[in-house]
Amino acid sequence: MDPQAGIDRFGYQQELRRGVGLADLVFYGLVMMVPIAPFAIFGLVYSRSGGMPVMAYLVGVVALLFTAISYAQMVRAFPLSGSVYNYAGRGIAPPVGFMTGWAILLDYLLVPSLLYLVASIAMNSSLPGVPVWAWLIFFVAVNTIINLRGIRMTITITKVMIVAELAVLALFLTAGVWALTQGYGRGFSLAPLFNPDTFSWPIVFAAVSVAVLSFLGFDGISMLVEESTGGSEQVGRAMRIALLLAGVLFIAQVWVAALLVPDPQGLLTSASGTAFYDSAQVAGGEWLRQVTSTATAVSWGIANTLVAQVAVSRLLYAMARDRQLPSFLARISVKNAVPANAILLISALSVGLGLWMSTRPDGVDFLSSLINMGALVAFIVLHLSVIVHYTIRGRSKNVWSHLIAPLIGLSVLVFVVIHANVMAQVVGLIWFVVGGVVLGALYLLGRPPTLRPSALTKEPV
Amino acid sequence: MSADVPPPLYQDLFIVCHHENGKPLIHRSSISLGLAGAVLIDLALYGRVRLKGRAVVVTDPTPTGDPVVDAYAGAFQRDRPELDAVTWAKTVSADSYDRARRQLVRVGLLTEVTGRRLGMLPYTRYRADMAAIVRASTDVRSAVSGWREMDARGAALCGLVLALQVHTELYIGQSSAQLTTTLRTIVNEHSPQVKELVGLFEALIGEAAVAVYR
Repeated sequence: MDPQAGIDRFGYQQELRRGVGLADLVFYGLVMMVPIAPFAIFGLVYSRSGGMPVMAYLVGVVALLFTAISYAQMVRAFPLSGSVYNYAGRGIAPPVGFMTGWAILLDYLLVPSLLYLVASIAMNSSLPGVPVWAWLIFFVAVNTIINLRGIRMTITITKVMIVAELAVLALFLTAGVWALTQGYGRGFSLAPLFNPDTFSWPIVFAAVSVAVLSFLGFDGISMLVEESTGGSEQVGRAMRIALLLAGVLFIAQVWVAALLVPDPQGLLTSASGTAFYDSAQVAGGEWLRQVTSTATAVSWGIANTLVAQVAVSRLLYAMARDRQLPSFLARISVKNAVPANAILLISALSVGLGLWMSTRPDGVDFLSSLINMGALVAFIVLHLSVIVHYTIRGRSKNVWSHLIAPLIGLSVLVFVVIHANVMAQVVGLIWFVVGGVVLGALYLLGRPPTLRPSALTKEPV
Repeated sequence: MSADVPPPLYQDLFIVCHHENGKPLIHRSSISLGLAGAVLIDLALYGRVRLKGRAVVVTDPTPTGDPVVDAYAGAFQRDRPELDAVTWAKTVSADSYDRARRQLVRVGLLTEVTGRRLGMLPYTRYRADMAAIVRASTDVRSAVSGWREMDARGAALCGLVLALQVHTELYIGQSSAQLTTTLRTIVNEHSPQVKELVGLFEALIGEAAVAVYR
């Protein structure tokens, strides 16, 4: 079916200039995910997976491919720029949409803090004389200025960033494979994929709960549905392609890095934030260590934060405009055409939380677990939305896409959440309870959640 | 257009959105959307179109005489009978700034001034005629001070000035909050048509600020 015909069926109009093609969408998804994302959390995934990071990433990409299938279904049903907040609200009910938005807010609000922290740790690894806190303040200041001045990522810059990150990755893989053939590390082995001595499903799912962090951001592609030259069909395809590409890249890099870990037993017992750079040093020497850590700092601290800031601003703006968050978050500064209040809020939160987490030895682990918790819960609701919207309400006969696929995706994610960091589960639960209280307050104030259509988009009839 | 007929709204809005030395007071993308809004309001006030929901219906295809307004109005007749106002505005905003500026230069309200920063970096600015600056802000001033009855054009200009947050640059002797309330009241109470059109472009400007690419 012509994608645009699907839109017209619901009374939607083509809104934004549709100028973003499939390749642009895939590039955007990749820059959101960061092709070298595992550089930063490799030690954690290695330790949590019992030395099987490849298995963790493999299960992660399969689980999220099911999520991408569900995203594609909801984007097709509601081809509006928005997030899972919109899809759950429209697919199930507005209060569910609110709680889903609240869940994904945990992800979106904390992501900048984590990005700054990881970038700061990477820079501190390159220049130990400058403490992590100083780098953190530097990165937040630079990004806040860039964002407040209205400087935005462009399609061209996105491509340049991807090419640069891929070049660094190619450098690492070439040096790593060459080092393995020269007898460095432990030579080629399947152990990073499957190690019978350490394998158990709880261990794998616990590791997946960390590894999925690297894939978060693929869902950002849905924000470009109104600009997509191929409509919602193209967005769904771009999500799958971006996830598959990222999966292949992640698996390749963690496989090589795992074989080059200088002290596997030490890393298994104590996760190191610089484990990947240590492997890079084994592969190519100090220069490669510097290149990989600097690439992490730039891609996480500048490129990814730029796109993450836009994503969180959009969510805050949408929820505030729907009167589900304080209205000051829906105000924008026309002078630079930016959501200044949202930017300042995120910057303040990032400094406070980032500095606090930099003092904790498990800061990166804790933040990423919380972020993943928010995202995974939201993705679970997304799968439910597909089942409710299509199978229950629409009586769809497409059993695979509208029932079996979301059920499989949902089940895997539930297992991942169950085996996630316990503290993250507790804090996540507290976050959801607070969300429930806010929801109750909204009802008491006579402002129950309603998904007011954007003033610029028509509601489906 | 005769001398006693006010100039198109977009001309006054363009001037209000710039410092007298020609420097934009706000982001160019926001001004472009505001200018698109001004053109649509002009067409509505001239009786050439009316809003039916969000669709724009042509009620009178006669040209207005202003080349910018007429060029953009053509889209409503060319593309489809009930073109969506938002789709139209987003398309128009791609070049509304340049077109409006060229027209203002043509009619003598802007003068091109070139120079070099620090004696090296070349720049081009478009300075507005002082009489035009005073006239452009008169509607807003008179609306706030209440010394003249507000017409639809004046109310629409108040709304667009508020949407673009340039009202604080007009040096009206009121606090920003007070001025905001006054202008909002004028827009909301004048007529449903003005309120609806201004609201549409206010939302557009807001959403453009959180766009992924621009």
